[in-house]
Amino acid sequence: MAGPTDRRPSVSSSRNSLVTEKVQRLVMRAFRGIPGEMTVDFGKGDSMVIYGDNGTGKSTIADALEWYFTGGIDFLSHEGRQHAVRYVGGESDEVTSVEIVTNGTLGGRVGIPDERPVETFDAIRRETFLLRGRTLADFINKTKTEKWKALVEILGLDAIEDLREDLQRARNELRKLSKAAEEEVRTYRRALASGSGDVSDETVLASLQQICSALGVDPPETLEHVVDPSWLTTAVGASAVVAEGSDRESLLAEIKTLSPPAFDKRAGEAWNQIASSDRAKLLPRASLVREAKRLFETGSIDKGHCPLCGQKVDHKSLAKRIEGTLVDVMEASRGLEDVRDAIAQLSDELESAYRRRLSILNRAGTMGLELPPVPELPHARLRDCLENLAPITIDAITSAVSEVRKWDRSAGTLARKTAPAEPSTRDTQLVMLAGLCQQVNAWRLAEKKAARAGRALELAERVFDAYQNKQKEDLTELLKQISRRVAQIYATLHPGEDLEAVSVEPWTAKGVELAIDFHGSRQRPPHGVLSESHLNSLAIALFLAMAETFNQRIGFLLLDDVINSFDVEHRGRLAELLADGFSERQLIVLTHDQPFFEHLSRRAPAWRRLEFTSWSHASGPRTTLYETRDILQHARERLDRGDIHDAAARARRALEELLQEVCEALWAPLPFRRGQANDKREIGELLKGLRRTLKERAKLQLESIEPLLKNLEADVGAALNVAVHASRDRPGGSDVRAALERIAALDDTWSCPECRTRVWHRGNPDAGRCKCGKSTFPPVRLLTAP
Amino acid sequence: MHRPSAQEFLQALLETLDDLPTDLARRFEEILKNGGADRSQALRQLFEEFAGD
Repeated sequence: MAGPTDRRPSVSSSRNSLVTEKVQRLVMRAFRGIPGEMTVDFGKGDSMVIYGDNGTGKSTIADALEWYFTGGIDFLSHEGRQHAVRYVGGESDEVTSVEIVTNGTLGGRVGIPDERPVETFDAIRRETFLLRGRTLADFINKTKTEKWKALVEILGLDAIEDLREDLQRARNELRKLSKAAEEEVRTYRRALASGSGDVSDETVLASLQQICSALGVDPPETLEHVVDPSWLTTAVGASAVVAEGSDRESLLAEIKTLSPPAFDKRAGEAWNQIASSDRAKLLPRASLVREAKRLFETGSIDKGHCPLCGQKVDHKSLAKRIEGTLVDVMEASRGLEDVRDAIAQLSDELESAYRRRLSILNRAGTMGLELPPVPELPHARLRDCLENLAPITIDAITSAVSEVRKWDRSAGTLARKTAPAEPSTRDTQLVMLAGLCQQVNAWRLAEKKAARAGRALELAERVFDAYQNKQKEDLTELLKQISRRVAQIYATLHPGEDLEAVSVEPWTAKGVELAIDFHGSRQRPPHGVLSESHLNSLAIALFLAMAETFNQRIGFLLLDDVINSFDVEHRGRLAELLADGFSERQLIVLTHDQPFFEHLSRRAPAWRRLEFTSWSHASGPRTTLYETRDILQHARERLDRGDIHDAAARARRALEELLQEVCEALWAPLPFRRGQANDKREIGELLKGLRRTLKERAKLQLESIEPLLKNLEADVGAALNVAVHASRDRPGGSDVRAALERIAALDDTWSCPECRTRVWHRGNPDAGRCKCGKSTFPPVRLLTAP
Repeated sequence: MHRPSAQEFLQALLETLDDLPTDLARRFEEILKNGGADRSQALRQLFEEFAGD
């Protein structure tokens, strides 16, 4: 921001001031292609059509509004282009700035460096106001997920989307925990079932009661008794001696329950396919990108520096890159979600299998039973692959599972061979009963844990599903609103074509897509059946519908060269649509198409018109609304500061522009020149044309101003001659000041004293008028004698 | 167009769900208010807590 008079767009949003904010004046200084100052007057917020050939600088207006209202110019946000916000022609005395006057509170002034905080744009950052030809179909060409993201942001629902993602993460975590708890329960059930299959409180209690009765032990009345240590001690009373034999039995029983981990090769192949893809390579940066986004949103960053590494970086381009990367990360993450679970589960199962067998090996060692070493399993490697998103080696896993199966067989054989040949003693049986009771206890704890995990998951699923459904329903309702309007606008642009039911539709849980009926078949997306110009019409319809539906404050819409792919008929329809269908809004339409400009001007006579006629390195854009008085004022200011050379250059330009406008209005006969060369006529040439015209049509006027013209001719050769200023005999400030006064006097000759607009500006030279109509050409007092 | 906050959105949603544990809405509100990078962890713990024993 520059200067103490800066005003910034208001941070606070008022819902009462709905869509009323219109631009009344735009002042650009040393900005883009403007070396000095250029003002565009929109009256009380009138619509305007702006015409100019390529390269005449008309898009500078769009750039200025985009910079002011968004904090950046999208196509300059890439690396190495940011400097181009400043005047592109080189050194300028002016400080780069854009000043906006509106009929509300959004006006103000911004300069370089732009130090406005991110919150500055909170009230308006979701507003849609700018559509450019070069980015016309950007939204249409986005993927479904990108469209969803863009819509969520436009609709201001990103905080709701963030919470949905957190709920999803919590739900996924609970799914894993619940799955692990259920697996634990299954393991205990397998151990307790011993081939009978059905494991429940009743069957386990009945079995225990049967065993106790056979051993002459008081049977437990409930399973609660079984897990009570005092009951166990009293009823069973196992001794250390017996424990040893019992341990071996218990070990053998456990070996019998072993089964190798299951491995589905297809899951491995699916993982490898995704892990090898380009998108998956983004995922390791996901947390960094999310953290960067969070820092952006909270505003807790050092402006102009990367929040993560601290290097200098352009704020806007970084924000855009983060957003784009997040979308890619999200899509890659979704692709990985399903297969990741399968691989994670495999890793857990391999680790569990390894630890369990290691435990059996150790227990066997304490009993003097020598089992073969447990084969190494690749669970750690699998975890690494999961963390690093690397492909897994399927053959190594298949081979490891096979090794486990072999180990289980040989361990079982060895354990059976060394098991006591004699039947168990009663004590042994009692200790086995104690071991069984401990297993029952562990099983019941696992059941409780699994039930709790299941309830937590059920609650999470319920809240998450309802949340996602409501989000989708709300968005669907909003999309219906947009779709109705998009369809209306599209039909206006393409009446009588067999393209119907245009709409924006939700797509699965997290996508949005455009759709259209094409000869009875639903096309989603419509790219396959629509031409480029039809797609562009769709983009314009979408832009207008979204602005109408969602804008809360910004009441102006800016369309910059959006008709390039349209034929004459469709250009006409768009002109009519803009003129008739959006009269309550301020439309600023830039075009290089003269028929479209003329058509829109005729259709919307109340609109202002501005023509960019040329652009030059020295003086920037020239328009039909010349500003000699402003240039003269600046020249005087330069002179007051002692800069005679610059004052002389500005005075010369003011004289050129004055003579150009007068010659244009008088239809002064000048030698034919093609295109923009008309703007580059020299003062001598213009004076010649002026004198010839006045001689024919207003001789007395010519006589009255001839001395002034002669003096000005002399000024052009001396006081206003830039080359002379570089010489030793350069003129002094008083000469330049006198020349400035003579130019002002000539300007007065052609200006209405009432409305201050120039007489004969545009229109028929035989019936020339000023804007208010009170001054005519030729002036009555100087009418040529009949 | 009214743009609800995440809190308003969630609150409206919870009111439509029957038989939710008492106090769940208030605990959600606390988590949303506290913010923090580990919000998903806090939400997981909240679901576990309300699952009971």
